[in-house]
Amino acid sequence: MIDAWVYIEHDSGEIEDVSLEIVGRLNEIKASLPLRITGFSFGRDPGEIPRKAISQGVEHFIFLRNDLFSFYDTQSYVNGIEGIVRERRPDIILLGATYQGRDLAGRLAARLKTGLAANAITLNIDEKGLLYTGVPGYGGRFIAEIVNMKARPQISTVRQGIFRKLPQDNSRSGEVENIEVKFGDFSPRLRVVERVRKDVKDITKSERVVIIGNGAGNNLKPIEDFARLIGADIGVTRPVADRGLAPRDIQVGSTGVSLNSKLVIIFGSSGSNHFVSGIERCKNVISIDVDRNSNIFNYSDYCVVADMFTILPYLNRRFGGQ
Amino acid sequence: MKNIIVCVKVVPKTEDVSFDPVTKTLDRSKAENQINEADKNAIEYALVLKEKYGGNVILLSMGPMFFEPFLKIGIAMGADDAILLSDRAFAGADSYPTALTLASAIKKIGDFDLILCGEESSDAGLGQVPSQVAEFLDLPQALFVSSVEIEGNKIKARRSVKGGYEIVELPLPSVISIELGINQPRFPDFKRKRWADKEFKIKVWNMKDLGLNENIVGLRGSYTFVNRFIETEPPKRLRRYIEGSPEEQAEKLYEVIKEIIE
Ligand SMILES: Cc1cc2nc3c(=O)[nH]c(=O)nc-3n(C[C@H](O)[C@H](O)[C@H](O)COP(=O)(O)OP(=O)(O)OC[C@H]3O[C@@H](n4cnc5c(N)ncnc54)[C@H](O)[C@@H]3O)c2cc1C
Ligand SMILES: Nc1ncnc2c1ncn2[C@@H]1O[C@H](COP(=O)(O)O)[C@@H](O)[C@H]1O
Repeated sequence: MIDAWVYIEHDSGEIEDVSLEIVGRLNEIKASLPLRITGFSFGRDPGEIPRKAISQGVEHFIFLRNDLFSFYDTQSYVNGIEGIVRERRPDIILLGATYQGRDLAGRLAARLKTGLAANAITLNIDEKGLLYTGVPGYGGRFIAEIVNMKARPQISTVRQGIFRKLPQDNSRSGEVENIEVKFGDFSPRLRVVERVRKDVKDITKSERVVIIGNGAGNNLKPIEDFARLIGADIGVTRPVADRGLAPRDIQVGSTGVSLNSKLVIIFGSSGSNHFVSGIERCKNVISIDVDRNSNIFNYSDYCVVADMFTILPYLNRRFGGQ
Repeated sequence: MKNIIVCVKVVPKTEDVSFDPVTKTLDRSKAENQINEADKNAIEYALVLKEKYGGNVILLSMGPMFFEPFLKIGIAMGADDAILLSDRAFAGADSYPTALTLASAIKKIGDFDLILCGEESSDAGLGQVPSQVAEFLDLPQALFVSSVEIEGNKIKARRSVKGGYEIVELPLPSVISIELGINQPRFPDFKRKRWADKEFKIKVWNMKDLGLNENIVGLRGSYTFVNRFIETEPPKRLRRYIEGSPEEQAEKLYEVIKEIIE
């Protein structure tokens, strides 16, 4: 039996989609391999987390309980999981490539003296339990297939929005273990003083996305109006997020998210590798850029060479705006 | 404030790296190199912290000797010192031995208050080294940080989390990774650049200097291996141009969008 563990990341009980997407992929693999899928989380109180995870394809759940786990400190979490990993020796540990997942994975791999692949966009396992992860390099132009033949567990983080989670099915059952973690004399050296966060839209699942590129400058209003008129969500390129005009969560590209939309419309982007890797999976791509030589047109179905601020008023009027 | 150590990597420009479909390997030979972008942001940030709180900025890099001129750019920006960890045995390292080697050098430097890294490197783009350096030094860490304030022997760092940010408090020393794009790195100072090129000597440390052995560094110390490279096929796009006056373009675009949406 190949023992694969998935970090079920949650924020006050709300499970990250990517954790369940990994579980979904493992269930596909399980169709042809003897695989046992274990989920694990940290927190004060398991609440509905184990049950939710099991309804989406986890077979066995380990909840690590301690009051310290109510905020995220890398060392507390690594110390919390280390013992049980050493004892049970899973073959594979997968984590979402979220801020937290990436922070945790690196340190955990170093602690366990094992390798780590990061940001995987393909996941395969062979009969011997060897994990093959496809990791995009150079902004997504190549995929390096990574293996670790030297040590266990094999650890990888997995990109968001790549795999599909299973439909929820409350008739699924699984074993749940609640483990009280004892720390001895460890106390966290990091303290969270303030937390500012808004609910952000997960645009990896949006049907329609309008992207604001750096060419928009600080004048986002006409593009936002346009997005509203066609019922699209907003995404941005990296420089727009860098300038603080939008949260990082809606940044598209190799250090942001990958879209899976039916339609994406891009205003003012030069189409660098790091960006276009995020729109590869979209069905229809339309771009508007003043520069006829903009590389974005090589990645577009419809190319409009125009100043966006000239064309947007016409467009918005045509779609029923003023 | 004591020393601020900045971990700096030199990477080929993404756009210049090509894929050889026959040998199925990456061709970096024609690529122009540069300081990893997030590391430039980290150098800039270290210099800002130095201006505010004092201390020396030391650049630390593991890589071949051709990294030297790039480190001199960092010196010309205002860094005080630079150390290059260079040894044949270091070649082929994945993040584990890279972090281990950097951590050994940091122990050797000894006198430091803060270690800054970039959030990730643009070539492999894994963002694991900072976390692993912290583990090998048994130091606290905060990653994806966009600002740092120092109060006595504590730091307050702003780190990105889903949907926003957290302000976290850590002791000195700690390991911090700096978010890509948080600042505009300054240009190298012209006079300092001339001085750096002519007179400044970068310290070069090899495996023995760090007390390491060939089984734990470089390729042999690595856990992950590239099984194969796969070139991603960009999806075939229509690349149809919509021409005309802006008004005509808008009208045609309207038709196209309407059809896709319906
Ligand atoms: C490690 C690393 C990771 C990265 N990750 C990402 C990522 O995840 N996502 C990302 O987006 N980038 C990422 N980048 C940055 C990326 O390399 C590019 O710098 C960035 O994508 C450029 O954004 P842009 O196309 O919006 O802006 P620019 O390159 O500035 O392009 C602006 C475009 O707007 C056009 N324009 C200007 N004015 C107008 C107008 N009035 N009307 C119409 N067009 C106009 C210009 O002709 C130009 O083509 C990363 C970089 C690195 C090093
Ligand atoms: N060879 C290296 N030498 C110095 N610093 C490095 C090296 N590799 C990685 N780093 C640091 O670790 C950060 C993250 O790198 P990576 O984990 O490779 O994405 C970089 O931005 C650098 O600050």
